[in-house]
Amino acid sequence: MTAEVTVATGTGGLGTDMVLNIGPQHPSTHGVLRLRLKLDGERVISAEPIIGYMHRGAEKLFEVRDYRQILVLTNRHDWLSAFSNELGAALAVERLMGIEVPERAVWLRTALAELNRVLNHLMFLGSYPLEIGAITPVFYAFRERETLQAVMEEISGGRMHYMFNRVGGLKEEAPAGWTSRARDAIGLVEKRLPDLDRLIRRNDIFMARTVGVGVLTAAQAAAYGASGPVARASGLDFDLRRDEPYLAYGSLKVPVVVRTAGDCHSRFEVLLDQVYVSLELARQCLDRVDQIKGPVNVRLPKVVKAPEGHTYAWTENPLGINGYYLVSRGEKTPWRLKLRTASFANVQALSTLLPGCLVPDLIAILGSMFFVVGDVDK
Amino acid sequence: MTAIDVMLSAVGLVAVGSALAVVSTQHLVRAGLWLVVTLGAVAVEFLLLRAEFVAWVQVLIYVGAVVVLLLFAVMLTRAPIGRSTDLDRPIGPALLIGAGSGLGLAGLFAWVFRDMRVNPPPTGSAQRVGEAIFGDWVLPFEVLSVLLLAALVGAIVLSKKDT
Amino acid sequence: MNPTLADFGHDNGWIVALKVVGVFVFLVVMTLFTIWYERKVVARMQVRPGPNRHGPFGLLQSLADGLKLAFKEDIMPLKADRVVFFLAPVISTVCAFTAFAIIPFGPFVSIFGQKTPLQLTDIPVAVLLVLACSGLGIYGIVLSGWASGSTYPLLGGLRSSAQMISYEVAMGLSIVAVFMMAGTMSTSEIVNAQAKGGQGELFGFEFTYPGWYVLLLLPSFVIYAISAVGETNRAPFDLPEAESELVGGFHTEYSSLKFALFFLAEYINMVTVSALATTLFLGGWRAPWPITQLGPWVNQGWWPLLWFTIKLLILLFVFVWLRGTLPRLRYDQFMRFGWKVLIPASLIWILALAGFKTMNNENLPGWQRGLWIGGFAVILLAILLWPRKRPAPKLPLEEEVAQRPEGSFPLPPIDLQVPVSPRAKRITADREPVQ
Repeated sequence: MTAEVTVATGTGGLGTDMVLNIGPQHPSTHGVLRLRLKLDGERVISAEPIIGYMHRGAEKLFEVRDYRQILVLTNRHDWLSAFSNELGAALAVERLMGIEVPERAVWLRTALAELNRVLNHLMFLGSYPLEIGAITPVFYAFRERETLQAVMEEISGGRMHYMFNRVGGLKEEAPAGWTSRARDAIGLVEKRLPDLDRLIRRNDIFMARTVGVGVLTAAQAAAYGASGPVARASGLDFDLRRDEPYLAYGSLKVPVVVRTAGDCHSRFEVLLDQVYVSLELARQCLDRVDQIKGPVNVRLPKVVKAPEGHTYAWTENPLGINGYYLVSRGEKTPWRLKLRTASFANVQALSTLLPGCLVPDLIAILGSMFFVVGDVDK
Repeated sequence: MTAIDVMLSAVGLVAVGSALAVVSTQHLVRAGLWLVVTLGAVAVEFLLLRAEFVAWVQVLIYVGAVVVLLLFAVMLTRAPIGRSTDLDRPIGPALLIGAGSGLGLAGLFAWVFRDMRVNPPPTGSAQRVGEAIFGDWVLPFEVLSVLLLAALVGAIVLSKKDT
Repeated sequence: MNPTLADFGHDNGWIVALKVVGVFVFLVVMTLFTIWYERKVVARMQVRPGPNRHGPFGLLQSLADGLKLAFKEDIMPLKADRVVFFLAPVISTVCAFTAFAIIPFGPFVSIFGQKTPLQLTDIPVAVLLVLACSGLGIYGIVLSGWASGSTYPLLGGLRSSAQMISYEVAMGLSIVAVFMMAGTMSTSEIVNAQAKGGQGELFGFEFTYPGWYVLLLLPSFVIYAISAVGETNRAPFDLPEAESELVGGFHTEYSSLKFALFFLAEYINMVTVSALATTLFLGGWRAPWPITQLGPWVNQGWWPLLWFTIKLLILLFVFVWLRGTLPRLRYDQFMRFGWKVLIPASLIWILALAGFKTMNNENLPGWQRGLWIGGFAVILLAILLWPRKRPAPKLPLEEEVAQRPEGSFPLPPIDLQVPVSPRAKRITADREPVQ
């Protein structure tokens, strides 16, 4: 019985291990991820991620909702990338039904997806330094988030769960003058973002905590199916926006931010640099939106039924590749809607990164994998 | 008997009593805490003898550092809350050795110094302690520091993993 | 006219009692104020207003927090060692309060007709008392970590015991330089020793610079400041509490008034190390240079209390500033910094200072002085700039192969392509890692 010796940390050699549970309630797990660690002193001997505390059965729920209602559910598994999630599901349904989305809606969707990406990244740009112990950057990140969220709220009415996508386009036309206000907000954020950048990116202590810590090689990233910023920081140069364009990305030049070091710092840098890229992309999209007239959605039948068949729609979500595999038997609900989430794949890599590191490194690595627990547990 | 004498004896009793508690308690960490009381009582003895410098250095080094390190080591390896029942040894030999050496030493000192009259020099200040250590007792002092250095090196060698 | 060591120990009983109460009230008020001050300053650094609901400018916020804490449920973990669990916060707080007894607030003042120094007491080894108190304060943290009977507090307790012992060494060494300059360990005498400034001339403008040790012993001050932050467990050295790693560190399991005691002790310790820095390096209660030109009254009566408090607040601001700016160091980096940088640096500095003082005492002729200083500098430079052993340059693979002795085991060609199994190829086909 190991339970007899209640607390002891350095007993690795004595036959008993100290078992430490990080989570399910722990400030650094962003929710309810649980890590069961065996420690020797402060060194992690083994780490076992235990997931599922937040399993909400999204895939099963999809099967009893019609195609309009599904969007509400897709919205919620990764609550930081709500717009991109709705988008993926809408794309899958549209493809199966053969709906041609109006051009104005396509460009608006692209702009909103990029703004959503910025919002998501800013969240992690604030919370990651907080986990390393810097309490100030998060407020600068949230100042920018607030600015952009006002724009999103104005067009969609939601601050987090936008519900602005519809099968066949968007819910409604943007309010008059929205694009110029959105451009102003982007300009403001671009102007103030260097505050955050200078505050933390080259900070000596921050570098000491993150450079060379938690190195994920490109091969490992590929093997675990990691994607998004996490994979690109390891040198896995893969971005659906460029490599398999959807929406209007085909006619945009998408610069892909890549680092090769694969450590925590490069993951952070990828995120930070992507914000600049996304802001620029969003501005280009808004410019195009102004030039295009026309409707932003199509008229749908009263009961939306996808014809029998199956399709896979994947999108480059802020955290990585998000895919929906839709199988329909011609009914008004999907027969099966398989969900491939970015965080789920990215978190897998933790089991190779964590053993052998120290507890503070563990926090640094955990934070740098940029996951949302809802996205892991579905 | 002056008031100082009374207090000196009382604090001495505290020191001896807590020292006994160190070896008789079954709580591992509490034994460490009793050691703190013992060393603290010794510091108070120094204070009563007006040796302020020695007293505070005693607190600083022994209470503030040495015992903390001891507790640190205990916690790092095994720190059960509650009694550890596997600590007991047969009491007979321990009592014999402990009491024998203690009483023997006390008797020896009492017998050797029985006729000696010492005029205690003015106690206390850092200056006097410094002069004593680096004047009359410089050789033992240096020998001690070499011993400590050797212990330090030995600790490093022992803790290094064979590679 | 300034209090010396001989002026202490003559107070009436009721004056002593008054002073004790005064110090206690000062510390509690300072704590309440510092919490508000910290929150307000950090808030301004973080583009938000900070507490502003309770009282003017939110000044009563910390009082409200304290009351709220008092009404919280007092939780005793099932596995805790009850006696020690209760004792730990008490030890912390008592030690924190005691250390302040020897801090000089000012020169002689008259309290109800009694002339007495504005300092609770002074002893020949006063500064050691502060160090001893902070040494005892470690017990509060170590024991709370152990007695909670839970893993996070234990890790926090372990970290803090190692950390505080290490940084106490650095702190003690940095103070040694002050002892050597002042020739005493009594705080009132150290303040007196810093009273005499020197005359300086800058751009034809004559001025008196203060004899503060922060100018004369700058390396000591820097080392003291760093180790003070480490000693008080404040960011960026707040590893024992590290809320994102250890939840709350040693006080994870504490609630209600016991937690409040820890909170109180932490802030008092901050005030104490700042007050000690003021006393040892910033001239204590003495007014700084431009103010001293106003007349001798600035250093008499109750005025010095004001200068002392101002200096204290400036130092506390630095604490807050650090917390608002810097991330947290990792445990091993922090310990390495303490043992391999701070302690050797202070040892070398003390050695240099001692050598310099000895030379002054011996009245060496100029050329010998130059020789000694030069020699010391050369040795120091040699140590600092000693060429590091470079790792042998790594040979390219071809050369390493060519260097193998005759008759070695035959090697397959370096550019041998091993065909991948068809199945693996299918899996990795689309995502080849970029080299």
